[in-house]
Amino acid sequence: MYKTKQLWTPLSSVFRGVLPTTCSLASFTANSQFPSLSSHRQSSSRVPPRYGLNFSPYSKFPLLRFCSQSAAKLDSTTKRCWNCVAPGSMPFLYCDSCRSIQPVDLSIDYFQIFGLEKKYEIEVDGLERKYKDWQKKLHPDLVHSKSEKEREYAAEQSARVIDAYRTLRKPLSRAIYILRLEGVDVDEEQTVSDPELLTEIMEIREAVEEAPDSQALNQIQSRMNEKLEETSDSFANAFQKRNFDEAVTCIQKMTYYQRASLCCSCNVIMGSATLRIEEMITTDV
Amino acid sequence: MLRLVAKRLLGTASGDIPSRPLQILPRLYHENVIDHYNNPRNVGSFDKNDPNVGTGLVGAPACGDVMKLQIKIDEESGKIVDACFKTFGCGSAIASSSVATEWVKGKSMDEVLTIKNTEIAKHLSLPPVKLHCSMLAEDAIKAAVKDAEAKRAKTNATLKGADVKSG
Repeated sequence: MYKTKQLWTPLSSVFRGVLPTTCSLASFTANSQFPSLSSHRQSSSRVPPRYGLNFSPYSKFPLLRFCSQSAAKLDSTTKRCWNCVAPGSMPFLYCDSCRSIQPVDLSIDYFQIFGLEKKYEIEVDGLERKYKDWQKKLHPDLVHSKSEKEREYAAEQSARVIDAYRTLRKPLSRAIYILRLEGVDVDEEQTVSDPELLTEIMEIREAVEEAPDSQALNQIQSRMNEKLEETSDSFANAFQKRNFDEAVTCIQKMTYYQRASLCCSCNVIMGSATLRIEEMITTDV
Repeated sequence: MLRLVAKRLLGTASGDIPSRPLQILPRLYHENVIDHYNNPRNVGSFDKNDPNVGTGLVGAPACGDVMKLQIKIDEESGKIVDACFKTFGCGSAIASSSVATEWVKGKSMDEVLTIKNTEIAKHLSLPPVKLHCSMLAEDAIKAAVKDAEAKRAKTNATLKGADVKSG
């Protein structure tokens, strides 16, 4: 059954029409509504931690962001808050000591943002709560009184957390992301010619087009959701065994099933819209 | 529904302001694309098991598009006498495959292998983000030809075998 969601209605992709370069209906990390720098830099799978001189508006001299003792070994515990430089403040995205928002650090991946182990199977239920908790600290609306720099940080961090949430919430986008973290990019331009899969998809799409009523469409959609789950399990299996070729194939299948499911929702809505219009036409005589 | 919207937009663009070119509105589909969408040519299916029919089935995993292009070969001349397609995808993908079926008719199989996606894209004025749709159409043509040739080879082999047996 199709459920309306707040900001991330799958149908919004359909009504938005042409999508940016990835041309995909899954919410990829590149598909961010915010003009943030972070989303454009997602293309690199691993970015080394940034370090260097950072000028704080609250001090007259440049601050070395990382502890000089462990310059060779860089990890998040040696980062200091740009504002309070409290020892061991472990700012992460936000400094609890002085409550200032930190600049985006691309070496922190989406799993880390949500405090999750980097595994494909995650607890999706906890995501929303964690997401809201983050936005309470990072949202740009909460930093009107702060410096321009911090407001910029807020906008970027907030946008990145939204990207992370959208990506991890859905199995398909999560699968693509976790593969990318391993350095494997699903080549979107490559044509698929697996006859078995394509024949199956062709038959499903034809069934969707020819479905007589929304009941039939809902049946097809639940079948698609079953297939999505099955393929998601296959992906988990393949990924665990580090069989990346198989993992990519699973992703391709999931894309097709998700698309078919979306078409069912679309047709259900089109169907009822048509009925409503017909109703209106016949009753307004 | 998209057809109605497209017709209205096209009407506004060409009716109210006659001197303004269509390209001013960057997101508008080119009129060739709209034409193929509203008046699709050669939509349909041939019998897959017909020995003179080559079927090309291709997909674009990124957008979940799937395209089927079929060609009918004349036994004697080896030329493509008919073609049809069925595409599930965006307007650009549908138009690309429609154009492909028009262009392959009357040509030999070798000739159609030279059809480039860039030509299809140019004909439809496809924006960069939709170039892969034309690529898909080119791949579909190649797949259909490959299938047709494989079938012909198989038929010839069977015929030769039959000749040997009876002769």
